[in-house]
Amino acid sequence: MNVITWLAFILLLLMVLIGGKKGVRSFFSLFLNFGVLFFMMFFMLSPTVNPIFITILASILIGSINLFFINEVNRKTVTAFISTMITIIILLFFIVLVSNILMIQGFGEEETEAISGLSLYIGVDFMKIGVSVIILSTIGAVMDVAISIASSMHELIRHNPSITKKELFASGVHIGRDILGTDTNTLFFAFFGGYLALLIWFKDLSYSFGDIVNSKIFSSELVLILCAGTGIALVIPITAWINVYDLFRKRKKEEQK
Amino acid sequence: MKGITQLYDKLTRKRGLLYAVLLTCFIASVLFVNHNYSFYDRPIAQVIQATLLEETDVTDMNQNKDTLYKQQLVAVLRNGKEKGQSIQLMNEFSASGAFDQQYKVGNELFVLLKRDSTGKLKTSAVIVDVKRDKYVVLLAWIFVFALLVVGKRQGFFAIVSFMINVLLLSFALDVYVKYSAINLLVVCGVCIVLFTVISLLFVSGFSPKTYAAIAATLLGTFASLTITFLVIWLTSSNGLRYEEMQFLTRPYRLVFIGGLFIGSLGAIMDVAITMSSSLFALHERNPAISVQDLKTSGLDIGQDIMGTITNILFFAYISGSIPMLILFLRNASALGYTLSMNLSLEVTRALAGGIGIVLTIPIGLYTTLFFIKRKKASV
Repeated sequence: MNVITWLAFILLLLMVLIGGKKGVRSFFSLFLNFGVLFFMMFFMLSPTVNPIFITILASILIGSINLFFINEVNRKTVTAFISTMITIIILLFFIVLVSNILMIQGFGEEETEAISGLSLYIGVDFMKIGVSVIILSTIGAVMDVAISIASSMHELIRHNPSITKKELFASGVHIGRDILGTDTNTLFFAFFGGYLALLIWFKDLSYSFGDIVNSKIFSSELVLILCAGTGIALVIPITAWINVYDLFRKRKKEEQK
Repeated sequence: MKGITQLYDKLTRKRGLLYAVLLTCFIASVLFVNHNYSFYDRPIAQVIQATLLEETDVTDMNQNKDTLYKQQLVAVLRNGKEKGQSIQLMNEFSASGAFDQQYKVGNELFVLLKRDSTGKLKTSAVIVDVKRDKYVVLLAWIFVFALLVVGKRQGFFAIVSFMINVLLLSFALDVYVKYSAINLLVVCGVCIVLFTVISLLFVSGFSPKTYAAIAATLLGTFASLTITFLVIWLTSSNGLRYEEMQFLTRPYRLVFIGGLFIGSLGAIMDVAITMSSSLFALHERNPAISVQDLKTSGLDIGQDIMGTITNILFFAYISGSIPMLILFLRNASALGYTLSMNLSLEVTRALAGGIGIVLTIPIGLYTTLFFIKRKKASV
């Protein structure tokens, strides 16, 4: 057995031991997410399909798997789903703009060795694929923030039905703030770890600060980190607002009865 | 840490002052990157005219169709002795743009100048790269403002702790590169302890709940690393394609394990602090709560977050490989080969991170209980 099978087996075992039924479901959702990414990549292979359109479809699927399948379809998950999608769409426009200006599509000079011998003129739009990569790297964290805020706000209004709109919104944003720090941390370190080799390369070849900032590969990594952080910040007020709207509409309906 | 908290409080008390400081930094940095040409040794030229010369449809050996373009650019030098002089550049680019791009009027490029035997500048030059710093700085500010406006205090702390961690990593790598005798894993180990202490203190300040989270993070990282290391060692790296690792100037196995170490740290911290702060909150709300009840709720909380946090790591690692996968597959590489060549290390990272996350749930639970008991005893 190779490393990956062993590690996957150990992860499954631990998830079952510690998480029970929820652990099994969590492990299964990893597989489903991998499947979505895999199929999405196959669609992107075709030059006639717009990768951004595929990304939106994939986001909807990923959102459904992680919010509706792992939890269930209810008010909480539906508002979290809507907030995630709105954030992803806004982020999408922003990232398209940024990657057009920065010209960070495709591969950098430092990667020539890896792509040598391959034909680069393959007809797909690497700019749009790059946008898709950023969205998908962030979507996990965005969903996490959305569902956490939505469930806490629902709890809050259940325990404190007389709360005002303004207070509810403020406490939603407040809950978001607590997650903001840890979730951006999670992503920062994941990217640091993934690019440790690149950072050592920069140091070993004594790149100057200017060389690093302007290089394609570094700026595309930085764009990834900064867009991820901005996305996590963006989803907080959006989720808080949508939940206030939904919860107060529900309350109004109940009062009319 | 305390100093920075006080600094922040002071600044927000005079909210105007904070905004003024930020605005000054913002304007100064944007002005600087827009006028920093003379700080670069490399010649920079700005495109003032772009003409498309020709367009050819090509088909490669794998029947992929693409279009190649040739464009002629006129650009003005922005630095060096010949500042203000115009040069001509040729650019070839493809519609797919894997390794090239179209340039437009206004783009700033690093160029390689050519001179004749007398040292006089030739009119034609070669494009080296794009000058991106202007927009990188602008984007960084958008990020800072988004985090500050939404996150307020926590957003401010997230930015400061991010900056400290970046500087720390950069410094540690400098030390590592300079003194090759030091093992990379030792450098990463020291970094991890510092990263954990700094980041968690910024998230929740000096309190038993932070200490519990720090202890749990370090134990969790250590446990997951031991397991991953054992698996890699026992299977003698079977299935890991280190060939896919790029940018290698050092022993690949160490670089990979070092990256694995750091990569899962953020997620493990996330679990540790969530466990300790919610258990402490339960204890504070009801000091008489039994240890058994705390255990049950702690496990419940852990089970809830385990899936989402593993997913965050998973998406962050796997998505990055998509462009390379597409390039390989369009070049008629076999699917199995493509996947193992491009994904084996990323999947290993995600799985090792997942193991760390799950292990940190019981570890976080028991360390927090230990700290709660100690607090009870001291009262």
